Amino acid sequence: MVEIKGLKKRYGERTVLDLDELSFSDGETVALAGANGSGKTTLLRILAGLIEKSEGTAKAPGSVLYLPQQSYAFRGDLVRNITITGAGKQTAVELLEKLGLSHLSGKKAKSLSGGELQRLSLCRVLAKKSELLLLDEPTSACDANGAALVIRAIRDYRDSCGCTVVMSTHSPMLAVNAADRLVVLENGKVEANGTPEDILSNPGIQWAKTFTAGWKI
Amino acid sequence: MESFRQAFELLFPPDRELLQIIGVTMRMSFVSTLVSCLIGLPLGALIGSKNFRGKSFLKKLIHTLMGLPPVVAGLIVYSLFTHYGPFGRLDMLFTVEIMSVAQVLLITPVVTGLSSSFIETSSKPVIETARGLGFSGFRTARLCINEGRASLLSVVLNAFGRSIAEVGAVSIVGGNIQWKTRVMTTAIMLETNKGKFSFALALGIILLMIAFAVNALASFIVRENADG
Repeated sequence: MVEIKGLKKRYGERTVLDLDELSFSDGETVALAGANGSGKTTLLRILAGLIEKSEGTAKAPGSVLYLPQQSYAFRGDLVRNITITGAGKQTAVELLEKLGLSHLSGKKAKSLSGGELQRLSLCRVLAKKSELLLLDEPTSACDANGAALVIRAIRDYRDSCGCTVVMSTHSPMLAVNAADRLVVLENGKVEANGTPEDILSNPGIQWAKTFTAGWKI
Repeated sequence: MESFRQAFELLFPPDRELLQIIGVTMRMSFVSTLVSCLIGLPLGALIGSKNFRGKSFLKKLIHTLMGLPPVVAGLIVYSLFTHYGPFGRLDMLFTVEIMSVAQVLLITPVVTGLSSSFIETSSKPVIETARGLGFSGFRTARLCINEGRASLLSVVLNAFGRSIAEVGAVSIVGGNIQWKTRVMTTAIMLETNKGKFSFALALGIILLMIAFAVNALASFIVRENADG
């Protein structure tokens, strides 16, 4: 269970996050959406303990895993990149298979494409058990096929450990297919909170309108 | 050209005293670089990868010590190890060991400062990934060193370069004693004071050749071990 009350984060005079009350239940998958700078990553980083909050409380479970937006490849091959977490080789092989990377397992991780590297980074996080899994735009570099593999892997992980999953995204596909709930942030505040279907069909929500009204440049 | 000829004559066949001086120089430089790296690299990695109260002050202090004048370092070590100093009983003055101690005092801030700056700027994705995986501060620091080892080699070589080229501190605590504590730089100083400029320059050329050989060897080792 994650409980947020009066949570604020300021950088100088600028308040980037201002949440009155928000909670995520055990076993729930929540997608955080919103424009750039709306506070999604800041919220994830506070929950991960990577940055200090300015005010309020954010109660999170003891074991938290966080997948940063910027994927990183450690030295060595793909298997080593997963076993570095302490996971066994068999787990690494299974995860690579699940994320469609098994044919690259012996390759240097630094030679992967952006989408492949993002899936490898997810493998690394999924190799460990946690009570709260925080994912910062886990499909941003993936193609449709890669994104589908990521969604399936996240679902399986949640089902196997019963943990809470909170992920930021710009992808309605990820929100609809992987999340039980969608929270839309705007200027650090909650603009909408509900099921992905309800929010995406609500033309009053700016973020949803972008996708339902189509692109006009 | 005269200096190059003399340098060649000193090396082929090798002059006995020159070999002894090179031996002392290398021993002092390697030991001091090794000790400085053993202290400075983990410390730099920890400072670079962790946020804590007083970090800004600590960085300022290290950056100040990076500019510590060698003669001041020499004087500090001299006063600590002189007969009436707190470590006088160890009777270490005018030995190669005390020269290494003075060098460690000079080089450790350089290794710490440069490695912490490197880790802080270039290792952000490593730190973020490691922290996201719940790794401890120590394990994160170790990962940063391992991931950035090719770049950190330049820090090590910088330290070695400073050690091998240093003259002020080693002449104060070592005394430039023939067949005992004389190193390349103090030998160059001595020959210069005697007015033997071309001979001093010949020693300088040999010193540069040694530094080049060490740099080339270190680069080769890192390239061979680089597994991307």
